[in-house]
Amino acid sequence: MEKNPAEEALILLRSRLCDPHAFFSLLPSSSDTNFSKLKFLISSSITEACNNSVLLLGPRGCGKTAVLELVLRDLLVEYPDMISVIKLNGLLHSDDNCALKVRLKSLLIIKSSSTLQQMAAFEFNFFSFLLDVMRLNTKTFQSLGIGVRTIIKKIDCAQASFDDNTQFVISMLRECGLAHKTIVIVLDEFDIFAQGKQRLLYSLLDAMQSVTSQAVVIGISCRLDADQLLEKRVRSRLSQRKLLFCPPSKDELERLLEFLLSLPVNSSLPQSYVVEFNKELRKILADKKFKDTMNTLLSSDSTVDQIMRFLFLSVSTMDMKTGILSIENFKRAVVRLNRQPKLEYLKDCSVLELYILVCMKRLEVKEQNSYNFNSVMKEYKAIHDSFQTPDYYARNVCLRALEHLIQCELVCFMDNKGYNQSNEFRPVKLLISPYELQLGLKENQSCPVS
Amino acid sequence: MGNEEIPQSSRRTTRSLVSADNCSEKPRKSISYKPTVYDFIYSSRNGDDKNLSLDDLISSFPGRTTQITEVLGHLGPLNSPMLPLFIYGGTSTGKTSIILEIFRYLKRPFVYSSCVSCYSPRILFESILNQLAFHKRSEENGYLSVKKCDKPSDFANFVKEALVSVLDILKGKSAKLSSKRRSTDDLGNMIYLIFDDFELVREWDKSSTVLPFLFGLYRMLGLPEVGIIFLSKVSPDVYYSNSGHFEPVPLYFPGYTEKDLRQIFMLKREKPELNSCFLEVTRQVDELSVAFHPLYEKYCEPLNDPGSNFSWETKQKREDAKRRLFSHLVPHIRPSLNEVFKISSLDVEAKTNVVKGKASAKKLGAQEEELDFHMCVSAKYLLISAFLASRNPATLDASFFDSTGGQSNGRKKRKCSEKSTEQKEMAEQELLLKGPGTFPLERLLAIFHLCNANFVSKGSSCPLEGSTRYKSTVSEELAVKIARSLKFPISRYLYRR
Repeated sequence: MEKNPAEEALILLRSRLCDPHAFFSLLPSSSDTNFSKLKFLISSSITEACNNSVLLLGPRGCGKTAVLELVLRDLLVEYPDMISVIKLNGLLHSDDNCALKVRLKSLLIIKSSSTLQQMAAFEFNFFSFLLDVMRLNTKTFQSLGIGVRTIIKKIDCAQASFDDNTQFVISMLRECGLAHKTIVIVLDEFDIFAQGKQRLLYSLLDAMQSVTSQAVVIGISCRLDADQLLEKRVRSRLSQRKLLFCPPSKDELERLLEFLLSLPVNSSLPQSYVVEFNKELRKILADKKFKDTMNTLLSSDSTVDQIMRFLFLSVSTMDMKTGILSIENFKRAVVRLNRQPKLEYLKDCSVLELYILVCMKRLEVKEQNSYNFNSVMKEYKAIHDSFQTPDYYARNVCLRALEHLIQCELVCFMDNKGYNQSNEFRPVKLLISPYELQLGLKENQSCPVS
Repeated sequence: MGNEEIPQSSRRTTRSLVSADNCSEKPRKSISYKPTVYDFIYSSRNGDDKNLSLDDLISSFPGRTTQITEVLGHLGPLNSPMLPLFIYGGTSTGKTSIILEIFRYLKRPFVYSSCVSCYSPRILFESILNQLAFHKRSEENGYLSVKKCDKPSDFANFVKEALVSVLDILKGKSAKLSSKRRSTDDLGNMIYLIFDDFELVREWDKSSTVLPFLFGLYRMLGLPEVGIIFLSKVSPDVYYSNSGHFEPVPLYFPGYTEKDLRQIFMLKREKPELNSCFLEVTRQVDELSVAFHPLYEKYCEPLNDPGSNFSWETKQKREDAKRRLFSHLVPHIRPSLNEVFKISSLDVEAKTNVVKGKASAKKLGAQEEELDFHMCVSAKYLLISAFLASRNPATLDASFFDSTGGQSNGRKKRKCSEKSTEQKEMAEQELLLKGPGTFPLERLLAIFHLCNANFVSKGSSCPLEGSTRYKSTVSEELAVKIARSLKFPISRYLYRR
């Protein structure tokens, strides 16, 4: 079975769009980009053997992590033996002891295998970790005055106190400093580390105050006020350096779109196909309709992640027979990304469910601030009596309909208190605005009355 | 019905089949059985090797053509990476069955875990790890998981390790195959993780780290060979946390339209004309199929009746027969409309009816649900007393149960109507909102005493004074039913507003 060129091109484009670094590696390297600023910062603290810290702030999906990873990749090539990276994620390691353990382990690995592994590999698995320790040059440990056994015990003993662990981290940091190795500590989801007592951050930053250590702390957060969350003692130990990441500008985007979507000329793909594909692509990108589509997308969300999702969706609907992108692909992708889930669910509601929603809305209009199924039923009966609607359903059927509405989150219970009460007595509230309800009623085909 | 239901029923069971594989693995395979990567494919899990064509796939899901093509487009050709996909839609819109069937068609490896059967992070994590490590919990290993994994941080490492090792096997396989000749056996070197019933994750932890963690899993793993699919009953906009998270690509499965439903029930050979009136109440296939079943039997009744002669030879006669069948059915439609939920809502009903919380009547309530009123007479009286105590105002007890009984009832009512209507309305509103009231044990026993004085004397309740209050959440119908079984005139003692 021969692969056809369209399929091969599709795989190539999809892998390009799924790679989180793709967008940023294409950005030009001028001196005022975040990339070059960050790179300068880290490389200078490596060469000058000093401590440093920086916060990378910006909304989600603007490439904070991606840019950092690109920087670190470059630096690991430039200074192969002088740098080691420790990554902590707030979602995973915000628990103090857990994070310290991770840090201890990776510090040990750095020491043991500076020649074996450039990047501190995260071998949390105890057995592979043991092997690493075995490989350790015992001399370094003797110089530290700690036996291998005690280290292993310390790390995996759950009872090892926080203080013990902190002490150990400090001594390890000093060791690394003496060996002229810079440790880059990346704290992803920085704001989560700032919850609670911040002991971890404090002990880490305090350890960095000593002259002998050599470390760069990089905090990544989507909260712009991340540094305001810190206690005073922590904040004063952190440099006030911040890098702000913004969604890409329109000009930047336009330049990059072509790079992102065009096929490489010197590849295994047939030459004629590549030329044809790229020609069509340029035609689409210049089209006014395409620009309108882009505008509707960017007006709601212009982060890099959203753009990549958009491009991925457009590419994945490519017609496999021709293997050429068309403007229709892009239009459909925008529709799929800009959805209105509440309206979609409203459209699927049955007539009885709509009745109940309308009843609830009427109760809200009457400024009745708290109502439950029984009051809704009263209203339903009132509507039924005044409008002489032909169908009137039994109470338990209506209760079932209400439960369905709760299931699709168009309606919810007011509080979680009434667990010991049956559903018909718990107060409920509407989760959609009257406007949305009106739109939904208009769009619902099975609705008999407006 | 019988065998006519097969196409539908085989699909409906897929969910339970696959999840049964995950959680309560049966030791059906011998010990010598060596698990391979082929276990990740649908067909080898369930033991059918039938090849499924795209046409079969689409025709077995009427009204879902666009969704199937969209999912297929998103999954892409063999060996192409994908962004995480988030499929949402109401109950019984075919999310799970379509995804599983698509993977059966594509023959690609996947790991399925449902957040219903894996009801805590630990169980979910361990279930995924077990599947990736070809580990089956059995008697020999004491039903232990392959690794103990409680925290997301441990899971992130373990799952990466496990995925890498599986991917290595897959890569080795496809390399071997491509060196000879590409065959249909090629599994590709992607593996997919499917999380079903994802909306339940929202309730797992208050600090809400698991949810952003699972959404961000794709980025955290950094493995382009791993595809992640979430299935959820609720739309993505209700997942928002205050710090946001990595967003997957949304895909909506809309409810079936009337036309689609007609096709679905035609697959089951049921009568399509019925649909429209039921659609006003619900659009859920599972509920409808329950509702249609007795109707269909009714519809076929005349056919089985030897007395009536139906002939299907000519077209005109067929029309005629149809009309006769339908007219036979019509009177049954209306009543069944209001009984639509008899079976499917049984669990919900049971939940609401069981007397919960403070009442000692809790056990009574539950028992009486299961046994269908097979309880002793005094227990029944106690239940009725509880019901009355919680529905009637305490001040009216004396007037209801005094020597004149029913006669005094009318007098009381007149008094009530003399009150200003506004005040009455207010009280009524309050009652609607409040639900059943609470009552102390003495009152329950007092009423019980009044109902059936021979069983319990009042003195026994004295030491309980000042203790917790009780309430009955027994529905009125139930109370009336019980009362009828005892020939107790409950309506005379119930305070009506």
